[in-house]
Amino acid sequence: MSVIELRSVSKWFGSVVAVSDVSFSIDRGVTALLGPNGAGKSTVLRMLCGLTRPSDGSVRVLGGDPATDPALARRIGIVPQQEGLFDKLTAVEFVTLAGTLQGLDDPGAAARRALEVVELDHADTRAVGGYSKGMRQRVKVAQALVHDPDVVFLDEPLTGLDPRQRKHMIELFGRLGDEGRCVLVSSHVLDEVERFGSRILVIVQGRLAAEGDFHAIRDLMDDRPHRIRVETDRPRQLAAGLLAEGVALGVRLDGPQAVLVDTVDAAAFRHAVGPVAVATGARLLAVAPLDDDLDSVFRYLVGR
Amino acid sequence: MTAPTGTDVDRGFRAPIGRSWLAIYRLQLRLLVTWGRLVTMLGLGALAVIIGAALGSGGRGTGTENATELVALYGLLLLLPVASLVFASSALGDPREDGTLVYLWMRPLPRWVTALASWAAALTITLPITVVPLTLAAALAGAPSDLVVATALATGVGAVAYTAVFGALGLRTRRSLLWGLLYLFIWEGFVANASDQAAQLAILAYTQSLLSAASGQPLDLAVVVAPWSWIVPLLVAAVALVYTVHRLRVQEVP
Repeated sequence: MSVIELRSVSKWFGSVVAVSDVSFSIDRGVTALLGPNGAGKSTVLRMLCGLTRPSDGSVRVLGGDPATDPALARRIGIVPQQEGLFDKLTAVEFVTLAGTLQGLDDPGAAARRALEVVELDHADTRAVGGYSKGMRQRVKVAQALVHDPDVVFLDEPLTGLDPRQRKHMIELFGRLGDEGRCVLVSSHVLDEVERFGSRILVIVQGRLAAEGDFHAIRDLMDDRPHRIRVETDRPRQLAAGLLAEGVALGVRLDGPQAVLVDTVDAAAFRHAVGPVAVATGARLLAVAPLDDDLDSVFRYLVGR
Repeated sequence: MTAPTGTDVDRGFRAPIGRSWLAIYRLQLRLLVTWGRLVTMLGLGALAVIIGAALGSGGRGTGTENATELVALYGLLLLLPVASLVFASSALGDPREDGTLVYLWMRPLPRWVTALASWAAALTITLPITVVPLTLAAALAGAPSDLVVATALATGVGAVAYTAVFGALGLRTRRSLLWGLLYLFIWEGFVANASDQAAQLAILAYTQSLLSAASGQPLDLAVVVAPWSWIVPLLVAAVALVYTVHRLRVQEVP
């Protein structure tokens, strides 16, 4: 049996379908849950923690139902997406509280260790209400790890962190996975996910669009058709040159000074467009991809 | 640490109840006491004391009449329910609203621990803020000793019921402060006066009955006889707490 199993899980809020017929299973190690904002990642994570129940299907974590079995919480750590903390408490008080409620024998010592792991000073007497966004994020991670959980759910945990802290956190998540924990990290940033690990789940519009090895999915993403808008003073000549060069699947004029180019090899196009412009006497005014955002990448994956 | 196997959930595990209860209780005390709430409620309490002193030094009626009216109309109708609403609805309502409830919920604890600790914290704050000024006000207004004791008793019993009910309301609804005020001013303030049957669905009827029985003064809503005047509020509190535990079990946690 896998550590986490979702079977035909759907979740709807009134007439809005947040998650639709999603099934997957996860074992130990780091898995990234990738998807654009509003795709249903947080709803999936919330169901895995038992914070919300599926409208249909079943969720099992460590063989139990997290919505009805509070004892499971002893082995689960969660970093929720919302920023709220008990703002009057200091970091060490906040994490000690988490350790106490997890039933640790020495929650104070565990809290100090957890704060060290996320590089926060346990002697800091400031209340967390005065912390920066990045520090608050690290407090959330510390409270999730204070009881040494077997399963860790992190919802957009890198939000608000500076590059150095991001690197540190990504290394920490990798270490947790290497130690045999099951770590599920959600993110809407593709480059971020690349560094989490090789296994990813892609959620788009509430559906599981892809799952498996990151590199295979990344290749799939890179191989998709791209549409690029090129502004030039000689659009007809440039379009003909790009077709002749073999770097464009199709071209279409877009007004008197622009051409839309469809290509499957964006890198080859980028290399070719300059020389073709020179050869055709066209002056390049602007070159901009029209579908390079994650949403369009995800839409492409869903369409396949 | 032990790597997860997928089947070895510690199904029987519970965090120590007493320590966890105390931790949540202390947390709630810190979160509930804000300067704004404290100053407002202490101000309302101080006003009761000032009015009591004024009535005691120059009121028109007897000491019993003056004290009964003050406690019934200002204390039991306004100060007690509003203070209970402000603190109790925030106990689980604020964490639900700001998303911090997850830090109490996602723990290996029976839900009743969270519910009872939160209610106890709200009651701990509400009791002194209401019982002390109202009892003092009654004494200053010239109430005999049995009426002073009845004031403390009615306020205390009322606080137990109101905090439990408003605690459940805070967990159940958004804008619980607004809904609570509507209940107090529309139901307890107007509708309950329309008939004895309606009055029996208002906590105010029970607190005023306790007061009226002790003072011998007739009050509009004093329609409940002992021992129901103190049994029913305690039953209401118990039902509200059971409901709060139930909501914590089934409610979606933000």
